Amino acid sequence: MPDIIILLAGLFLPLFPLSMVFNALFDRLQHVVLRCVLLIGWPHIGLAIIHSTDTNVPTWIISWALATSLLYALRMLALRGVGQWNSFLATSMWAMLWLTTTDMNQSMLHIYTFGVTAPLVLLALLSAGLEKRFGAAYTGLYDGLAQSIPRFAGVLVVVILAAIATPLFPGFFIMLKLIMDTSLAMPAATFALLIIWLLWSWAGVRLLQGLIVGPASQGEVADLNLMSCWSYVIALIALMLSGIYLSGGLL
Amino acid sequence: MMSELILVIILLPLLSALFMHLLAGRLGRCVARISVAATLLSTLFSGVLLWLSLSGDLVDKSISISPWTILYFDSLSILMALVIGLISLVVHIYSLRYMAEESGYARFFVLLDLMTASLLLMVAAGDLITLIIAWHFVGVFLYFLLGQDTRNPSAYRYAFWTLITYRIGDLPLVLAAVLLFQAYGTWSLPIIFEQLNQAPNAHSVFGLPLPEVIGILIALAAFARSAQFLLHTWLPYTMDGPTPVSALMHAGIVNAGGFLINRFAPVFANTSDVLQWVFIVGFISAIIGSVLMLVQNDIKKSLGYSTMGQMGFMIMECGIGAFSLAIYHLIAHGVFKGTLFLSTGSVIHAARKDDGVPKDELYTFVVEKRPAISRKPWLLMAAITLAVPLAILIASHWLVAEDYFQKQGAIILLFFGWITGAQLIFATYRTHAQNLWRLLIISILSFAVVILGYIFISHAFEVYLYPDAAFREKLFVAASIEKIRFDILVGVITLTIVLGWLVAYYFERNRNGKHPKYTGRLWTMFYALISRELYLTDLYSLLTRTILSSANKLNVWLRWN
Repeated sequence: MPDIIILLAGLFLPLFPLSMVFNALFDRLQHVVLRCVLLIGWPHIGLAIIHSTDTNVPTWIISWALATSLLYALRMLALRGVGQWNSFLATSMWAMLWLTTTDMNQSMLHIYTFGVTAPLVLLALLSAGLEKRFGAAYTGLYDGLAQSIPRFAGVLVVVILAAIATPLFPGFFIMLKLIMDTSLAMPAATFALLIIWLLWSWAGVRLLQGLIVGPASQGEVADLNLMSCWSYVIALIALMLSGIYLSGGLL
Repeated sequence: MMSELILVIILLPLLSALFMHLLAGRLGRCVARISVAATLLSTLFSGVLLWLSLSGDLVDKSISISPWTILYFDSLSILMALVIGLISLVVHIYSLRYMAEESGYARFFVLLDLMTASLLLMVAAGDLITLIIAWHFVGVFLYFLLGQDTRNPSAYRYAFWTLITYRIGDLPLVLAAVLLFQAYGTWSLPIIFEQLNQAPNAHSVFGLPLPEVIGILIALAAFARSAQFLLHTWLPYTMDGPTPVSALMHAGIVNAGGFLINRFAPVFANTSDVLQWVFIVGFISAIIGSVLMLVQNDIKKSLGYSTMGQMGFMIMECGIGAFSLAIYHLIAHGVFKGTLFLSTGSVIHAARKDDGVPKDELYTFVVEKRPAISRKPWLLMAAITLAVPLAILIASHWLVAEDYFQKQGAIILLFFGWITGAQLIFATYRTHAQNLWRLLIISILSFAVVILGYIFISHAFEVYLYPDAAFREKLFVAASIEKIRFDILVGVITLTIVLGWLVAYYFERNRNGKHPKYTGRLWTMFYALISRELYLTDLYSLLTRTILSSANKLNVWLRWN
């Protein structure tokens, strides 16, 4: 694979330091629709670039991709902004897609990329909801969402669980697939994947605890209306079912 | 057809959780009755299945829904389903009134149902993916159950410790599952076990036999779940959650490690060194858990460390090849620890009226005008404490099987029974009771009943769970060590016990005398070490702070992009 193609693909399936471009762009875009479009489209451009050449991905890229994923997973632990947390998780997840590009069917890869990204899109929408209600989507500023807006908090919990690859959501099956692919050929990569998964869980729980726990500190805040709540629930169930259904192709 | 009941048993709490969530707004607090009814039904069905299984009308079977959704239907899963159902039912009924004043009443029961369903799915999992999913969900639901009071950051802080330890334990299980799949090309546990038994050394991983690697990974997963040493710090601290959750956790969830080792018994039967390490970890955990329990001044933390000690004992039983005994132990421990937690409220209430602390001897003689207690000769008591437990154990082992003493595991258990019995009688002696002989006879009789029951019931469990005598023998062989090493070990333990008794005798005789300065200093250092819980929590907190601060520094250097 030519170096220029790698660099170009490394921009969209983020490899550090090229990954900083995506994160800066995501931070700069304030409109939720633009953020969602960026989340949905960005990794697919990378996949398309890789698939445009028939050559295999060089093995040293795998180490680079895993190092990037590990770096962003670690950095997520210290984040307080929901938007930034979202973009760092996206970076950490998409970098891993380099491991799948060699042996997975192209269309399947695009579907799974969409599957792991979809919870991040939902989180971007929720983040916008927080900004609308409180002026910022930030942990530690306003505690106790579970008390003040319980419906919103409930949806937020499940979306974050989906984002950090909890079972039945597509991220879980992708992680299993990656561990399966690397366990014999690259044990160090398997170990790195397990650590990254653990760091996601840690970061996810820190984010949750910073938002939902504690006494409600704000006055009257509008909770998620029933319609929106059911929309999120349906989206999450669809995501879960698609994860289970499509796992047949992976496992 | 009856075997499809296992599916119903798992689905009932799941459906209950769904209906409760949907109907909570309309039915109010009455909605919890749906949950209790579903758990009751699920438990009844489990009871029916166990009855059919015991009567021989059911054989081991797996229900395959998809390549990775298989429910395995054997004696272990049926027995465990009934245990989980019963403990969950008691916790449900207790919570009806206990949680009535709490906010999030319906949410609590939804989570309780989801937890019950996860546990049932875990024990009935017939494939590796279902097992991983259920194993993972138990950790997630426990986190939210422990954090039931969302206003309490402290509850969440310690719930996080639990979750992160459980996640650490999930990872070796995932790795073990993937390696098994790579070797056998299937997720199905019965097929994997069958192939493993036919050719145990057919596969290797990085030059090591596959069963050894899998055994180590499964043991690691079990250690995290059952709070073994170095992975135990979450257990004594998760006391901010509601009492019914503590009961469920200590009576049921924490026992999952013992279940997992039993589920993978065919793997462990083909290992050579893993069970010895399992024994050592269990042994260290049992000792450290018991020692730390003694220095706690908070009763709930003390119960937490007691659970750690018990879990150590359970893992130790697996380490000596007594797998079915570990199952009996986890059931027995579940019953008594659940009772202890659920009765803590009544104990506190009673303690407000009478603290139950025995009066000082001088006080009873001078103020209450009762006669001073005549002390029995110390050496005679020491002889009784050593001889009686030994006699009971020897008699009970002979009653079960004549060749019992040829099994190393039986001798190790005998030692522990001996120490425990001696401790009980010694503690009875030190209570300074008015009628010491009566109390002693009652204690010895109770001890005899417990030991005999333990041995007979565990034997019954052995026959039920592992009916193949050759397989049972294989487990004991896998756990045994060379004769010379074993003899040395037994010698060292005997010497330690005798020395311990000599030290106890010396201090008992010189109760009011002066001790050398260095022993006092040593004792203080030891006390400081264990009262700080071996500085492990401090070490882990430091490690966490270091990781978080490194992450923060990285973010600053990289300008948050």
